[in-house]
Amino acid sequence: MIELKNVNVAYGNIKALHDINLIARPGEITAVLGANGAGKSSLLKAIAGAVQSASGSITINGEDLTRMPTHLRARKGVSLAMEGRRLFRGLSVEENLSIAWSFGPRRTPFAQALEQVYQSFPILKERRHGKSGMLSGGQQQMLIVSSVTIREPQYMLLDEPSLGLAPIIVQQIFGFITHYSNSRQTTVVLAEQMAAMALQIADQGYVLRHGRIVMQGTADELKKADVVSQLSAAYL
Amino acid sequence: MNALRQTVSKILGHPATIIVALLVLWFWPASTDRSTVQLLSFVMLNILLAQSINLLTGVAGQISLGHAGFFAIGAYGSALLVKSAGAPVIAAIFGGTAITAVVGWLLAVPAGRVKEFYLAMMTSGFGLLCFEIIKEWNDVTGGVMGLSGIASPTLKSLTILGMKIDGIDYFRILLVAAAIVLWLLRNFIQSHHGRAFFAIQASEIAAGSIGIDQARTKRRAYSISAAIAGLAGAFYAHLVGYLGPDSFTIMRSVEVLVMAVVGGIGTIIGPILGAVLFTYLPSKLQAFAAYQFMVYGLILMVVFLLFRKGFAGAIAEPARFIPGRALRAVGLTAAGVPARVDASAAQTAQSSVAAAGHQTDAAPLLEVRDLVKRFAGLVAVDGVSLALHPGRITALIGPNGSGKSTLVNVASGIYTPSSGQVILRGKEIGGQASHAIAAQGVIRTFQDPRLVPSFTVRENILLGAHLRYRSSMIASALRLPGVMKEEQAHLLRATQVMEVAGLSGVADQLLESLPYGYRRLTEVARAMMADPDVLMLDEPAAGLSEGELGRLAEVIRYIKSQGKSVLLIEHHMDFVNDIVDDVVVLDSGRVIYRGDMSGMRRDPAVIEAYLGIQQVAHD
Amino acid sequence: MGFAASLILGGISVGAVYALIALGLNLTFLTTRTLNFGQGSVMMLAAVAAVLFAGQGMGLYAALLAGIVLVGLVGGLTEVIAIRPIAKLGGSMGWVVTTLGIGIFLQGFVAKYFGSQALAFPSFLFSPRDYVSVFGVRLSAQYLVILAIALVLVLAFEYFLKRTAWGRALQAVAMDPDLASVMGVPVRKVVTLSYVGSGILAGIAGILVAQITGTVDSAFGFNLLIFGFVAAVLGGIGNTWGALAGGLFLGVTEKLVGGYISTAAEQGIAFALLMLALAIRPEGLLGEKEVVKV
Repeated sequence: MIELKNVNVAYGNIKALHDINLIARPGEITAVLGANGAGKSSLLKAIAGAVQSASGSITINGEDLTRMPTHLRARKGVSLAMEGRRLFRGLSVEENLSIAWSFGPRRTPFAQALEQVYQSFPILKERRHGKSGMLSGGQQQMLIVSSVTIREPQYMLLDEPSLGLAPIIVQQIFGFITHYSNSRQTTVVLAEQMAAMALQIADQGYVLRHGRIVMQGTADELKKADVVSQLSAAYL
Repeated sequence: MNALRQTVSKILGHPATIIVALLVLWFWPASTDRSTVQLLSFVMLNILLAQSINLLTGVAGQISLGHAGFFAIGAYGSALLVKSAGAPVIAAIFGGTAITAVVGWLLAVPAGRVKEFYLAMMTSGFGLLCFEIIKEWNDVTGGVMGLSGIASPTLKSLTILGMKIDGIDYFRILLVAAAIVLWLLRNFIQSHHGRAFFAIQASEIAAGSIGIDQARTKRRAYSISAAIAGLAGAFYAHLVGYLGPDSFTIMRSVEVLVMAVVGGIGTIIGPILGAVLFTYLPSKLQAFAAYQFMVYGLILMVVFLLFRKGFAGAIAEPARFIPGRALRAVGLTAAGVPARVDASAAQTAQSSVAAAGHQTDAAPLLEVRDLVKRFAGLVAVDGVSLALHPGRITALIGPNGSGKSTLVNVASGIYTPSSGQVILRGKEIGGQASHAIAAQGVIRTFQDPRLVPSFTVRENILLGAHLRYRSSMIASALRLPGVMKEEQAHLLRATQVMEVAGLSGVADQLLESLPYGYRRLTEVARAMMADPDVLMLDEPAAGLSEGELGRLAEVIRYIKSQGKSVLLIEHHMDFVNDIVDDVVVLDSGRVIYRGDMSGMRRDPAVIEAYLGIQQVAHD
Repeated sequence: MGFAASLILGGISVGAVYALIALGLNLTFLTTRTLNFGQGSVMMLAAVAAVLFAGQGMGLYAALLAGIVLVGLVGGLTEVIAIRPIAKLGGSMGWVVTTLGIGIFLQGFVAKYFGSQALAFPSFLFSPRDYVSVFGVRLSAQYLVILAIALVLVLAFEYFLKRTAWGRALQAVAMDPDLASVMGVPVRKVVTLSYVGSGILAGIAGILVAQITGTVDSAFGFNLLIFGFVAAVLGGIGNTWGALAGGLFLGVTEKLVGGYISTAAEQGIAFALLMLALAIRPEGLLGEKEVVKV
């Protein structure tokens, strides 16, 4: 379980997150919604340690992460897929997966872990030696998600995986995420701008606006038709 | 602490101090021995050298590890002109200086294209190349044996204009020359030319956005710096009467850098202190020679960590970059009518504000037509057309990656279009350099405000008027009356701009000491000084507090009232809602909505782009 | 044939050493976008230390190893005191000046305590007179061994980079340190180790140069740094094969110019090439253009 209590994040003088309180449970997908600049990325980065929280506490299963450096949090099972489809573009598909696996817990041998990835995404097997920068957007996102799962994380943080992808690819990726997290009781936090898609697979959601939580509830509550107008008001 | 530093600055900069110092230096040699006179002469030379590298590295931000090269060219140039061409000494010194200036200008061409450590390597290469040429070109430079018998007071062979010059006379010549050069330098640095050098150091891209031609400015910096170093070299040749390659090694380049850095780069007084310290120490401390390298090494290791502003920065407040006289003429506060102002200066200011006027024709000022921009397989802007009209504020919004910033970058000349047109007042400008587009009245700001951190708010804002200055470099260096008038006019206008932007209270505070909101407003104010017809603001609201947002909105409305066209890239919907006339929404590089804010909120395509929720259209 | 061949072989050998220097520069450039401007002194220190250790009674090979280990540590220390604190401050002039300072300090230190005269460097790879006959041409054994050592190191480095986990981690840090960090790569450790590795490569290069010239003195160094940089730039900074290609090209060009035009121009040509390369194609023959995001 991931718990944020009164977390504040600032970049120099600019406040990105104000007093965030959030709980994400194992086996559940927690959606974090909002327009650009709302603070979704800052929230995920704060959990992963890529940005330092100015105050408040971030705990996983009760263990305080606040002072822990990024790579050690990764060792503890926190795995972040950053926004903007970030990959090691100059490296091949397999090399990317190799790095992700090498610095993970290595419970499964690489060859086996690799096969699992290729089973879920056969296209990656076809392109295994190609430079990841040359893949299409959807394929890159598959690779990113696989780089996260190959580390067998307990806490999966995904920042806008659907960005710029066709709905059918998004379905595929989201399906994979759901299946993976259900079977392993992973705690998933999914930041998305596209509320509709995220709410289809999420169990609960938080809506951010200007760094604050302005709405929260179960996915069913948020999906109700009359809530949509509230949502768009939150965005626009 | 600060009060002490300000007092020290006042004393150091006071005309009385300078006159006393000059007098003391003039008369001192008459009562002392020859070696002291020589030492004092070396101090003068090192002051020139330190100032030369200061201008290039400290002010313009171009690191140089090869200044010994310029020193050498000036020295050998002048010596050869006297020895081989029989030129009179004064002419030879000027000649050596001129040759060095030309070489500096030429070096700027390749050097201006690279930055940071590539530049450090290139300048090292230049310095080493000069050294090799001196060492090996036996026929001309005498190679390792060197050039001897150069006219000099040491050899009692120096005559100028028919008069025999001895050591003391030569020192006095150096003193006068150094004083003149320092005076010219100070005037230059305090002029808009000098401030442009600082702008290049702070951010070349931002400098281009207010119309500063980066390549040309760098060439100027290189040639002036080279000229001063060459002058020092020419004087050196005639001081010692003998030249050998050992005086022009890489260590000499390092020494010159150390002098400037330790003294304090970016100021006038810093290099003087550094030069004095590093000329005096090695000669007085015999033991110093053995430890010289170690000491230099240690100094370089710690100076940037401990004393970023050098010795001068530690003891004194640096001189500002606007002539004090102009500031006093205009008055230091923005409130109320400035006292004792030049009547013509006030008029110039008024007319430049009024000339903005109101445009009533509806033809678009800036248009993009079917603009496409590709980056290695990714299409960032995919056939966008939009038009900006005078006196209207247009918002450009869209989800991440929709192409908003890229569009503005193309329109402002940072990128060239892959296809399509950018049209300003009916003329195609697509593909022109950013400074050229800025010169035609299109100014933009950046997501991350790029200002000169060591300047005050006022000095930063004044940079915006760069294109409107007419004074030449020589006029500025001589501080002719017209130059002062021009400064005053722009200062008056800056005061008014600061009033509108709510910055009057912090006008003379250093930018780096102010919170983010002030920097943002300063950047917008700087853009206003440029008096553009089209102003493009890239996410100006990000990170501002409620109060600051209000002020920003007022500023933008003011700009609109002046008949300008404003394009606003924003995510902050509330902020945008209150001030815009039109909204254009981009998604994946294409326009998906044009109209007003309320329509945008209800538009199904927009809602789908943002939320992914398909909406049945309803009203 | 003989004259040109000996020039070319000499050039290849010297060029191989330049390639090693370039490799060391590439290593730190990859991880931190910085170079050690004191690299020349690091090379000198390894050679001087080896001579001193041997003089104190240590076996020759042990002394060489000790010298290399010493400068590896100096490299790591450089990262901690000259690079890391400056990185926090931002900007680029800082680390150029601090690493330059370390180099000058080392030079002064050696000059002060061990004298500035040249020290004779013992032959450990055959003597300069030994030769091997290949197709009837006499080639200096020393040069051949140096070439072999350099090639082995380049290959080993490529192998390390491309096929080991730590090598891939290094590439990851080079491409995107934040991303590497969230993937569990201990970025700070990788950075420090890259400076240690750079020191080791510089030490090996220094010892090889000293072997070729037969002597070492406190001032040998800065020029070599520039030559190494020229090699790196010609080949494309950050590119291993580029370092080799650039180094060989530079070495051979130097020797040919020295042999056919004038020995005077031998050193100068490197500097001229540098300025030309930076002006025309800063990313080198094999490098990729750096795109700056606005």
